[in-house]
Amino acid sequence: MLSLTYRLTGIAVAATMATAAMADPYEPYRGTTLVINVPAHPHYNAMMQVLPQFTEETGIEVEVDQLQYLKMRERQTLELTKREGDYDMIAYVVFSKADYVFADQLENLAKYFMNPKLADPSYDASDLIDGYVANIGVAGGDKGYLPGQTGSLFGIPYGSETSVLAYRKDIFEKHGIDVPETYDQLLDAACKIPEVEPGMGGMASRAASGHQASHAFLLHLAPLGGRVFDDKWEPIINNEAGVAAANALKTIVDCGPEGSSTFGPAEAAAAFKQGQAAMFMDSIAFASGFEDPSQSTVAGKVGYALHPEGVRRGSQTGGFGIAIPKNAENKEAAFLLMQWLTSKKGDKLVAMAGGNPSRFSTYQDAELNEKYPYSATFGEALKYADPDWRPIIPTWGKINADIGTSMSKVLTEGLDPQEALDGVAERARAIMDEAGYYTWN
Amino acid sequence: MQTANVNRLTPYLFMAPALIVMAVALMYPIGYMIYASFLNWNPSQRIGEAEWVGFSNYINLLQDDAFRESLWVTLKFAAIVVTLEMIIGVGLALLLDRNIRGMSVLRTIFILPMMIAPIVVGLMWRYMYHPTVGIFNRTLKSLGLEPIPWLSDGSWAFTSVIIADIWQWTPFIFILSLAALQSLPRSALEASRIDGATPWQQVIYIKLPLMMPVLIVTLLLRLIDAFKVLEVILVMTNGGPGLSTEILSLRINRTAAEFRELGEAAAMSNYLLILLLLLTVAMYLYNKAVEARAARLRAAAGGDA
Repeated sequence: MLSLTYRLTGIAVAATMATAAMADPYEPYRGTTLVINVPAHPHYNAMMQVLPQFTEETGIEVEVDQLQYLKMRERQTLELTKREGDYDMIAYVVFSKADYVFADQLENLAKYFMNPKLADPSYDASDLIDGYVANIGVAGGDKGYLPGQTGSLFGIPYGSETSVLAYRKDIFEKHGIDVPETYDQLLDAACKIPEVEPGMGGMASRAASGHQASHAFLLHLAPLGGRVFDDKWEPIINNEAGVAAANALKTIVDCGPEGSSTFGPAEAAAAFKQGQAAMFMDSIAFASGFEDPSQSTVAGKVGYALHPEGVRRGSQTGGFGIAIPKNAENKEAAFLLMQWLTSKKGDKLVAMAGGNPSRFSTYQDAELNEKYPYSATFGEALKYADPDWRPIIPTWGKINADIGTSMSKVLTEGLDPQEALDGVAERARAIMDEAGYYTWN
Repeated sequence: MQTANVNRLTPYLFMAPALIVMAVALMYPIGYMIYASFLNWNPSQRIGEAEWVGFSNYINLLQDDAFRESLWVTLKFAAIVVTLEMIIGVGLALLLDRNIRGMSVLRTIFILPMMIAPIVVGLMWRYMYHPTVGIFNRTLKSLGLEPIPWLSDGSWAFTSVIIADIWQWTPFIFILSLAALQSLPRSALEASRIDGATPWQQVIYIKLPLMMPVLIVTLLLRLIDAFKVLEVILVMTNGGPGLSTEILSLRINRTAAEFRELGEAAAMSNYLLILLLLLTVAMYLYNKAVEARAARLRAAAGGDA
């Protein structure tokens, strides 16, 4: 009798386990085809390698429309205004957050994470890199574009990036230069290298007129203690910190490799790869290119360090996130894809394929560190990632372009940084005024 | 009566399809652009949701330093490139208007630059102007000269885009002038030769005046194109350094794509359209005046006889 009870219990347990093993949250969506829109970017190339595994596990097919990221943004802008969109999931560049959320074109993700049939309890959202989530995923909190009591989640970082300092270990060692930890050391090193190593520039940086010059300037503005606006949206870009950042950029470009002032990110990275500069401070996304001997003459000679500290630590945050458009057809299946891609498992898969992790735990993963030894440094850098290094507001495009052309004038035409930034501040205030940012002042 | 009416309508009925196609294909987009220029419209909105702001886009633009600078750059660019291209193009045509062996091959080679896609032209020149690996600076260095900041200094960058444009578009003027030259009445040239005109005199008193109608149309076409040039400069400098090469069409492109202000971009396009329209009308009036003068002269000559 006893043994029979035991046996029955055993069968019952086995049966429960069997149903548990068979439970398949993806079942209702099997055979669905998702259409997604992503940028042509190393991270999303890595994602392409991972997607077949998703289809195999879930039975959900994925059709990918990959575009150059600015073209992608243009396409999405049109796509999202339609009543019925073609895309079930989109990857969006961070500054699109302001536009899409403001125009009410992205799904609020709360209802999906609340849905027990969709949300995976083992997802562990607290492991997602908080600087990225703040920068790319959340809107509606502080200043409107940051997290806060009133904020909510519209996207999940995927293919996000921060800045690190890449330097030539061999050159630094040869001349006994220490790896810069502060901005003073950074600027000293940048101008010392062309003296001791003729023909080599100190640091390769973006500087081309427009967005690139603005990006390069803002990269130094946050660590040097500056901001574009204060809490009341008054421009403070022209204060001492702003001038210091402009001077830092000018020093770097002046001591940089030849032709620096027209570099975009690709040219700056190429200069570093070809050994024309001893340092390169930009997105972590470039690291895999430096280590690839087929396109880099400096593979194996590059060290990585944290973005140097000015008044504070503050590396950039940027890159892409993924979201579900309001006009998508298969929203629930799209959520399942999003969740799978950014789960611990999906994140590691894409990282091993050469993508940028979205989770702290992935950066600590032993296997990943073995394949990409710089991963631990990048994980460390992310602790200082500053989600507020540039404002993500609808008027930003215009202000960004103005900062960029003014900086370019500082770099190439000798315009005084204070004068340039005063001009930017004045015009930025007019733009903000017109957009209604001073309505409550 | 009925039949007469129908008869009178017939030509219009036959023309109607063409007219409708024309109206839809031509007037609709222009009308759309004019309408859009009165809106405060960002691309995340449907056009119906955009706010009507009257002339404020036009007024704001006139007060916008960047727009004014860009307009100035465009005018300067168009004036310089078209002048130089006309001189070089017509000059080349005059030189090559003779029987040379292999002329047809030469002609094909001369017009090659025009046939290359503008994006490719931009990329090509950008690499040639490259500060370290570009052919120009490498040559300068091998000659022991200082490298030139082709694209990284404002006035050099402006010169560089002018050089690229001249390289690409001189052939256009060359080929049209050559065609004009070769269709000139041989009798006039022969007569002048018999009268003892030197080759220079032939060029100045016979060839150029007779070519004038073609040259004016060519000039106009080039001028319109020069005002709208986009891709080559976009690829070469993207308007930089500063705003030194930011021509109007590039500014329009950025206003729509980067600043996301479709209304303002439409207003800018309309300014450009008005500018080109004025030019065309001026050319047309000039042409009329010249023709009238010629007619008067002919009439006077006829009176004498």
